[in-house]
Amino acid sequence: MVVFGTTFFNFDSFIGKTESTEIIGNPVFSHCYRDILPLMSGSGRFSLGDARRPLHETAVLVEDVVHTQLINLLQQAAEISQLRGARVISAEDLLFLMRKDKKKLRRLLKYMFIRDYKSKIIKGIDEDDLLEDKLTGSSNANKRQKFAQDFLNSVDQTGELLAMFEDDEIDEVKQERMERAERQTRIMDSAQYAEFCESRQLSFSKKASKFRDWLDCSSMEIKPNVVAMEILAYLAYETVAQLVDLALLVRQDMVTKAGDPFSHAISATFIQYHNSAESTAACGVEAHSDAIQPCHIREAVRRYGRKIGPLSPFTSAYRRNGTAFLAC
Amino acid sequence: MRLINAFRAQTGSEAARSTGSPQPPTAGPLPMDEETYLELYLDQCAVQDDLVPPRSPLFSPVVPYVYPPNPSNPETTFNSHLESKETSGDFSSVDLSFLPDEFTQENKEQAVIRSKHEIEENCETQSQQSRLPLPSGQDVGPGLDSSSLSSSRSHLHPGDANSIQSSPEKANSNPSPLASITPMTPMTPVSECSGIVPQLQNIVSTVNLACKLDLKKIALHAKNAEYNPKRFAAVIMRIREPRTTALIFSSGKMVCTGAKSEEQSRLAARKYARIVQKLGFPARFLDFKIQNMVGSCDVRFSIRLEGLVLTHQQFSSYEPELFPGLIYRMVKPRIVLLIFVSGKVVLTGAKERSEIYEAFENIYPILKGFRKA
Repeated sequence: MVVFGTTFFNFDSFIGKTESTEIIGNPVFSHCYRDILPLMSGSGRFSLGDARRPLHETAVLVEDVVHTQLINLLQQAAEISQLRGARVISAEDLLFLMRKDKKKLRRLLKYMFIRDYKSKIIKGIDEDDLLEDKLTGSSNANKRQKFAQDFLNSVDQTGELLAMFEDDEIDEVKQERMERAERQTRIMDSAQYAEFCESRQLSFSKKASKFRDWLDCSSMEIKPNVVAMEILAYLAYETVAQLVDLALLVRQDMVTKAGDPFSHAISATFIQYHNSAESTAACGVEAHSDAIQPCHIREAVRRYGRKIGPLSPFTSAYRRNGTAFLAC
Repeated sequence: MRLINAFRAQTGSEAARSTGSPQPPTAGPLPMDEETYLELYLDQCAVQDDLVPPRSPLFSPVVPYVYPPNPSNPETTFNSHLESKETSGDFSSVDLSFLPDEFTQENKEQAVIRSKHEIEENCETQSQQSRLPLPSGQDVGPGLDSSSLSSSRSHLHPGDANSIQSSPEKANSNPSPLASITPMTPMTPVSECSGIVPQLQNIVSTVNLACKLDLKKIALHAKNAEYNPKRFAAVIMRIREPRTTALIFSSGKMVCTGAKSEEQSRLAARKYARIVQKLGFPARFLDFKIQNMVGSCDVRFSIRLEGLVLTHQQFSSYEPELFPGLIYRMVKPRIVLLIFVSGKVVLTGAKERSEIYEAFENIYPILKGFRKA
């Protein structure tokens, strides 16, 4: 558990062991962000809580982080499906990777259910859809839900995972995001609100082919199937959302509040990045601008990766090569 | 005077409500007016047990004159109630100005003749106010659903379709038929009614033709028919009027989609059945049932969906990256609404038209609360 300001985050994340550094340095990916950047930058993050005109540097950094994480995720999923002896990466592999973090898994499952439900409703409304569905002959209703249920059935040892289906607890993170969005929209006028809504509708699943290219799946032997791609798109979105959440918290922490007993210690917890002058300056100056700075993001990722606990000095070796996944 | 207002409201003229009060009493041929008025009242007593005491002095003088020996129960109870309140009033003091002129002149005779027959059927049919079957083929607004007056129905049927259509503000939430006549209970004020009527966009219905069908033969001989057995085991047939599509299965069951009203759906289904019949099959028309109705409307203001999803969490889901609209699952009536930022609302999952109207009236005040100025 890591304490971020006044909020607790549960960081039971899957430990990865792939080589992340080489991918970040790869110049090939620089061209991608003309496609994906509009999603990740400005609009996408605006809808998740960032300022209306987010910084370009932050966008680049976020894209890097998300990309890295997704590639790692894909590789691990590929390894797992190899273990299974399957030819494609299916949703089951991804669900398996996420088994450690119940909350995120539950959010993913809820997302899949809502997707099913939405296609069911839309079918009822549009008669063309109805005919098409009948023509294809497959009953897609609840297919994702049944599928997830079957899989978890087979994997579940302790019954905890299956209990999630009946579990109706409120998802606090989602609740907080909803409240933040509500607060933001309350003060907007209708033009701003229209823009906000449009930006919220951006997702990775809309431009599926570009997403696939960005992930560079062709270089891998085992490719993900359709449902797995949907889940990956959702996880990418979740990663961005999670990053924004954490960065906002970091920014909030940086503000020295009067009467805070740990104010003298705050600067000590930040690693000042002296690589680029601008980021230092940005960190040094208090966040008068509303946008999230790259230093916030970096700090958020750093904190997420650290394990704090009684045995942390002794487990660092185990963790050294790993990247903590923000999305699972 | 309040009775006038209420009665005027039923005939759909709002203006009359405000001008109702200063009207002087009209002196018509008294016995006839009282008779029709009595019959009107008898219609409502079938659903309302409590008779409002202030009314009875008005009625009791009528009793010795008009009351037809009628065996149905509500009337006998009414009768006994009246007799218990004995007042010998003067007929000239009876205020009959509530009866609008066209009613007293045109429909008196019809109403008198017809209502005697209709009283009995009304006593039975009025158990379900909001589910009153409207005369088929007449697409009247929601307000008529709650009006239970047979005479008013007969009165309105010929002449007043226009006035009904022009008063969509009649709320369907009228709780009891007598609320409009009883002076105590105020009607839902017009300002609370949304004034918007959802339009039906699509109706899905099924019917059983009750005979085995040879799909290949149908596909070969009928025009506008598609049949691809490898893809799907049914014939897809379309007709232009009403513009609908039907899926016809070899078992004899048929699904008809695309109609814009219940009557159109039924008519279209009949046309398809006739086509099948003409091709030589002994098609019948059994168990016609409407499975789903879809309606849509526009509240004409922007809606702040983030607020709505926060306060109505247990009913709504809003995933903008998945679908731009908020999905609201209303429990009573069981309808799913798709609410968009632009103010457009789509309602689906209804088996009856009134469910759509009711659902919209339920959601409208909520949406107004989240209006984005």
